[in-house]
Amino acid sequence: MGGNITAEALDRDERRIGVYICHCGLNIADTVDVEAVANYAGTLNSVAVARDYRFMCSDPGQDLIKNDIKELNLNRVVVASCSPRMHEPTFRKACEAASLNPYLFEMANIREDCSWVHDDREVATQKAKALVRAAVARVYYNDPLEIKEIPFNPDTLVVGGGIAGIQAALEIADSEHKVYLVERDPSIGGHMIQLDKTFPTLDCSQCILTPKMAAVGAHPYIELLSYSEVEEVSGFVGAFKVKVRKKARYVDEDKCTGCGLCQEKCPWTADSEYDVGLSKRKAIYTPFAQAIPNVPVIDRDSCAYFLKGKCRACEKFCETGAIDFEQVDQFIELEVGAIILATGYDAFDPSTISQYGYGIYDNVITGLQFERLSAATGPTGGEIRLKDGRKPESVAIIHCVGSRDQNYHEYCSRVCCMYGLKVAHIVKDKTNADVYEMYIDMRCFGEGYEEFYKRVSEEGVNFIRGKVAKVTDKAVSEEEEGKLVVICEDTLLGSIIRVPVDMVVLCIALEARSDAEEVARKFIISRRADGFFLERHVKLDPVATPSDGVLIAGCCQGPKDIPDTVVQASAAAARVLAMISKGRVTLEASVSHVNEDLCIGCGRCEELCEFHAPKVGIYEKPMPVSRVNEALCKGCGACAVACPTGAISIKHFKPEQILAMVDALAET
Amino acid sequence: MQALTPYKDAIDIVKEAGGEAFEQCYQCGLCSGTCPWNLVTSFIVRRLIHQAQLGLVDFEDDDLWLCATCGACVARCPRGVEIIDIMRAMRNVVAEVGAAKVPDSLRITAKNIASAGNPQGEAREIRGNWAEESKVKTFTEGTELLYFSCCVPAYDPKVRRIAQATAGILNKAGVDFGILGAKESCCGESIRKAGNESIFQSLANSNIQAFTESGVSKVLVSSPHCYHTFKNEYPALGGNFEVVHTAQYLLELIRDQKLKLTKELNKKVAYQDPCYLGRHNGIYDEPREVLRSIPGLELIELPDSREESICCGGGGGRIWIETKKGERFSDLRLEQAIEAGAEILAVACPYCMLNFDDSVLTMDKGEIIEIRDISELVWGAI
Amino acid sequence: MSEFEPSILCFACNWCSYAAADIAGTSRIHYPPNVRLLRVMCSGMVDAEYVMKALEAGFDGVMVAGCHIGDCHYISGNIKAQEMVTRLKKLLHILGLEDERLMLKWIATSEGPIFAETIKEYVEQLKKLGPSPFRKELVT
Repeated sequence: MGGNITAEALDRDERRIGVYICHCGLNIADTVDVEAVANYAGTLNSVAVARDYRFMCSDPGQDLIKNDIKELNLNRVVVASCSPRMHEPTFRKACEAASLNPYLFEMANIREDCSWVHDDREVATQKAKALVRAAVARVYYNDPLEIKEIPFNPDTLVVGGGIAGIQAALEIADSEHKVYLVERDPSIGGHMIQLDKTFPTLDCSQCILTPKMAAVGAHPYIELLSYSEVEEVSGFVGAFKVKVRKKARYVDEDKCTGCGLCQEKCPWTADSEYDVGLSKRKAIYTPFAQAIPNVPVIDRDSCAYFLKGKCRACEKFCETGAIDFEQVDQFIELEVGAIILATGYDAFDPSTISQYGYGIYDNVITGLQFERLSAATGPTGGEIRLKDGRKPESVAIIHCVGSRDQNYHEYCSRVCCMYGLKVAHIVKDKTNADVYEMYIDMRCFGEGYEEFYKRVSEEGVNFIRGKVAKVTDKAVSEEEEGKLVVICEDTLLGSIIRVPVDMVVLCIALEARSDAEEVARKFIISRRADGFFLERHVKLDPVATPSDGVLIAGCCQGPKDIPDTVVQASAAAARVLAMISKGRVTLEASVSHVNEDLCIGCGRCEELCEFHAPKVGIYEKPMPVSRVNEALCKGCGACAVACPTGAISIKHFKPEQILAMVDALAET
Repeated sequence: MQALTPYKDAIDIVKEAGGEAFEQCYQCGLCSGTCPWNLVTSFIVRRLIHQAQLGLVDFEDDDLWLCATCGACVARCPRGVEIIDIMRAMRNVVAEVGAAKVPDSLRITAKNIASAGNPQGEAREIRGNWAEESKVKTFTEGTELLYFSCCVPAYDPKVRRIAQATAGILNKAGVDFGILGAKESCCGESIRKAGNESIFQSLANSNIQAFTESGVSKVLVSSPHCYHTFKNEYPALGGNFEVVHTAQYLLELIRDQKLKLTKELNKKVAYQDPCYLGRHNGIYDEPREVLRSIPGLELIELPDSREESICCGGGGGRIWIETKKGERFSDLRLEQAIEAGAEILAVACPYCMLNFDDSVLTMDKGEIIEIRDISELVWGAI
Repeated sequence: MSEFEPSILCFACNWCSYAAADIAGTSRIHYPPNVRLLRVMCSGMVDAEYVMKALEAGFDGVMVAGCHIGDCHYISGNIKAQEMVTRLKKLLHILGLEDERLMLKWIATSEGPIFAETIKEYVEQLKKLGPSPFRKELVT
C-alpha cells in the first residue's frame, strides 16, 4: 500500500487480520499454489495469521476461523475461496458466531475469477495473490455496521380485484390477517367475470368465481375499497403508507340495500363496459347482477342531472334515501407492511389493424365480445347471434391479433390459442356452424390443453395454417355475396384461400394496462420493454419486484391463463405471510450516509434517488442538509457519486475501501 | 419420393447477396396473402422465402422475377422481414453469379443501362433534348437546384410531358435550376432491385461524382424511384444531397405563394399513391394537398389508398418485363378509379404513368378517364 | 522482449456483470488473466475518481460493467454510469488518453460467455493500443 499515511491510518495499526485460503478440494488447489498464496498473505500489512485449508466452508473450516478470532484476537477476517455470491453469508455468520461484526469480513474470489478460468499455474497463483492482497487492503478499512430491524406491519394492501387479487386477498385474510383490497371499478371480478366458459374443462367462469367474490365481500379480515384508486405510496417494506382515493359513487353504501329500483327507473343509458359495448347500461348502475359490493354508482358522463342539472329520478324512487348527489371523493390513509399488485391487463384494440375490419364490419368481434355473446348473462342470453339476429352459418376465428407481431406486440399472449379453440367448440356446440381457425402455430401447453385441441379437431373444426391478410365484404363470387371474406395463405397447401363466413372472431392480444407506467412509478417498480411489470428474477423470483415488499401477481406481470394467475397470486400471498410470520424486517446495513458538516443541502441526492431515501430539511443544524432514511435506502451509491461536496458515502463501499483495492490490484 | 437435403452453399450464397433477412421469417404466409399478385394469379412469397431458408431455391423459377417491390408485405410482416432484400438477393444470384438465365427483356435493359447509362439504350448526348423548348439551362456551380427528370421522361416522348410541365412551373416560379444532361445516368434503383448490384454501384458512383463535381446540393426529382435511392441508398456510397420530390416541392411553391393556381379544373380526380413515395417513404399528404390547391378540382379517394395502395406493377424492374394481359395491376387499379367516378387518375411517378397510359389504351378507356402527372395538372392551372 | 500484456481493472456490478463472471467461472470459459475484478453493488456507484485513480495506478484499461438498460437492480444506476463514462471520456481525451482506455459494457447475469469474450476482445484492443501513457510515465 503506497502513498500517504495519515494519522488515522497509523491509528489503524491495531488491525489483526486473519487470512484463510481455501483449496476447495482440487477446484482451486489444482491451478493455484494455495500454500504459496497463504505464505504470501502472511507477509501483508496487519495480517496476524494466514492459513490454507481443504474446505473453508465446511464446519471444521468455519471452526478454524471462529477459534482464531477468539484465540488470536482477530478483528478482521479474509477468506479466499469461491464467489461472495456463493458463501459470503456463510462466513459472515461464522464471524458473527465468534462475536465479530459480519461487516469486518471480506472475501477474495479465487475460484470463479481465477482457478476456473485460467490454466497456467504460475499466472493463476500470481492473480490469486493480487486478489488476496486487495481483500486484505479493503478489510483494513471495513467498519462494523449496525444491523437494524423494524417491526413488520401485518396488514396488507392488494391492488386489483380480478382473480389474482381475489385469490391473494383470500389466502392472506384466511390466516386472519387484515387485507385492504382496492378495486378501481364499481365491482370486483375483473376480466374473469366477463368470461363464459373456461378452457379446457369448460366450467362456467361465473360459477367458479362468484363464490370467491362473495367470500371477499363477507370476509371479516378483508376491507373492500371498490371504486377506489391508490393515489400515493410512501414508506418501505414493513411500513408502507398508502393514500387511497375513494371515488364518489353518489350512493351511500350504508343505506343502499341493492334493490335495483334506481337502475330500473333511470332513463339514461351508456354502453355497457361489462358487455364490451354489446348492450346498454343505465347512468346509475351496478356492472352486473352478482356485483360485489352490490351498490350502484352514478356515471357522471351519462347522468342527466350531472350533464344538464335535471332528472334525479333515482333519488325520487330510492326508498332508503341512499342517493347522494353531494358526495365527493374521499381520501383514506392506510398503513400496511406489504403490497400485492394484481392490476391485470388491457384487451388489445384491434381497430388499429384496419385490414381486419373491426369497427367497420358489424360481425367482426373480439374474443371478449364473443364471451359476452356466449354467456347466459350476456345481451343475447347466451345465443350466438349476428348483429341482425341471425344465427351464423360459418365463423372464422383469427389467431394472433396483435400478438407475435412486431408491429403491435412481439410476445405471444399465451391464452389466445386456447380461447380460440374454446370459441370454436362453443360455436359448434350452439350453432353447428362451419368453423375455421386461422392460426400460425397452435400452442397448447397446459394441463389438458393438447387433449382439448384434439377434442375440438374431432368436432370438425377446420384448421388453416396462415396469418390472415384481410377481411373484406367485397365479394368476387356468388357464394361470397353478403358474407365476410377472410383472405389468407393456407401455408400447408401453399395457396391463397378466400373463406366466406358470417362472423369473424378476433383472438386479441393481452397487453399491459394503459396506465402501467404511472402505476410502476407510484410503487417504484420497473417494467419490461413490453410494458408489463418486471419481476425480480424471471425464473427464480417471479413474484417479487426490485422494491422490497411490493409483489406482483397475475396478468400485470405478463399474459397468463387462470391457473397460472392463481398460482402466482398464491405465491405472492405466501411471501407476504412469511414476512408477517417473521414479524420484523432487517434493513440493509450498507446504506448511504451523509456527513452533515460537508452537506450544503443542494438536493442533488434527493432529485436522483429512485427510492426517495434522502430528504433535504432543517434537522439539528440551522441550515438545510440532506438526511437519508436508511429504511428506504438500497445502497446503490448513485447519491454518493453525484454529491458535489463528497458529503455522501456508502457504508461498506467507502472511497477508501475501493481505492485501497484499486491500489492493491494495480501492484504487480 | 425424392428426398431434399438443405443445401448450405445455396443458403450462404443468398445471404452473401444481402438476403439474410430470411432467417427471421416464421412462415405465417401474411406476405402471400398481402401480395397484389394474388389478385390476378398465384404468387406464394412465403414459399420462396422458405426455399431460401433451406437453400432449395429453384433459380430457374419465373416467380423470382414477379415481385414488384411494392413493399405491402414488408409493411405488414409480423417479424419485420425485409422481403425485398431477399428478392433482390435471389435475383442477384441469378444475374451476377449466373445461377440461371435472366429474362430476356431484363438482360437487354441491363446491357443498355451498363453501356449507355439509361434503360432505353439511347445516346447520352440526347438526354437533355427534352429541355430545349422549355429553355432549361445546364446546371453550373452556384445554380440552386438540380432537376433530375428520370430516364423515362427524358427519352420517352410519351412521358416527356412530365419533365416539360415541371420545367415550365419552375421557370414560372422563378426558380434557379438546371439539368446535367449528358452527365446524368440512370439512378439505378430499379436495376438494383432486379439483382444487378454492380451496375447499380457504378451508376450511383457516376451520378455522385457528376453531382459533386458540378456543386449540386439539392436535387428535385419527378420519380419516386430516383427519390428513394438518392435519399436512402446513395448516402451509404458517400452521396449526401438534399432530395425533394415534385409533390413536395410544388406544395412548397404553392404555400410560399410563388405559384398562383387560378385556372379551374372542374373534374373528379383520384390519386394513385406510388409505392416508392408512399409506403417506402411515407409521403402521402403532400401530393393530395397539391391537388386540392387546384381550383374546381374534386379529389376522391380510391378504395385501397395510402398505406393500402395497390401498386401499378412497375417497380422492382417489372417496368421492363412484359406482364400478361389479365395480370396487370394497373388494369385493376384503373377499373377501381373508373368505378369511383374519377375522370382523371393523377400520378406522381413516371412508371405509374407508363403503366396506366398503357392500361387506358389496351382497355380502351380513353373516353372515360385520362392519366395526368400532378405536375401537368398544376401546370395547366397556372 | 516479450509481448506487452495490458492490465485491466473491471468494476463489475454485483447483480449482472459480476454474476456473469461467476457463470463464466462455473462454465469454465477461459479468458485472459489480465483482468482484475472489483465488485461494486451497482455500476452507478463507480465514481469518476475511482477510474482516474485506476489509470494513475497503472492500469492500461478500465472497464465499467453493469446490467443492460432497463435491467438495473436499482432501476437507473446503469444510466448514471453511462453518463459518468460519457463525461469522463471527454476529460480523458483532453488529458491525451485514448478513448479505448475506458470501456462501458452491459453484461447480463446469463451472459457468462459474453463476459469472457469481452475481456478477450478488450485485451486484444489494448495490446494494439500499447501501454497507457500514464503507465509509461510511471515506468520512466
